[in-house]
Amino acid sequence: MTYKVTEEGNSSTVFLDGEIDMDKTEGAKEVIFPIIDSGKDVYLNLSNVQYMDSSGISVLIESHQKALEKGTKLIIKDVSKSVLKVIMMAKLEQILNLE
Amino acid sequence: MSTENSDQTNLSEKKDFLVNSSSLKDVRSFSREVFEKFKINEDLREELVLAIAEAAQNIVKHAYKDYPDTQDRMAVRISCTDKELEISFFDKGKPVEKSKVKHRAIDDVKPGGLGTFFIQEIMDSIKFKEGDKPWINNLVLTKKL
Repeated sequence: MTYKVTEEGNSSTVFLDGEIDMDKTEGAKEVIFPIIDSGKDVYLNLSNVQYMDSSGISVLIESHQKALEKGTKLIIKDVSKSVLKVIMMAKLEQILNLE
Repeated sequence: MSTENSDQTNLSEKKDFLVNSSSLKDVRSFSREVFEKFKINEDLREELVLAIAEAAQNIVKHAYKDYPDTQDRMAVRISCTDKELEISFFDKGKPVEKSKVKHRAIDDVKPGGLGTFFIQEIMDSIKFKEGDKPWINNLVLTKKL
């Protein structure tokens, strides 16, 4: 997994890349959580994530809940078809902020 | 990767992997290669890869929970007839307690507990068996084609 972060005003966009599995979740959290902790909104762009398993879905849930606790927002953008299928299988499309 | 039978109506491929989270990408690569070789419907392939990867992840996370630095290996066998796909997992970890294998309530949204749910959603049957020596656990997943 690789990533890129861009900033604009009070929000940051995190572009994740590759396959997100159990082996990559700590790396994803290390990128996303500090931004949420800083009080910024996070746009998580998943257009280049072609595979995500239950561990990756857990990172999305944890990030979403952390953002709610901090009074910020996690917005998941441009989800690839394959990852959207997994999000829908977990019945999270109405819970997570998908754009 | 070993081919156990090259008969077009009864294909089988088996490979073993170090029990470690870094092996999960190799499990997925093996599965994708086999499904391409077996000419499994493309729409179904990635769902099956997810189910296989979740089962392998469960071996790493649960059967070897107390042994993160194990050098043990787990094996995955994918067999296919015209009508059914059978995926078997073999490991030498802690014996599976079937009564404890359950996913979280799907409307109780919290991190974790989804792997088994995904496997149940994707596959038609899930059976835990005792493994023949030297294996301890043998999980068998099937899917009608």
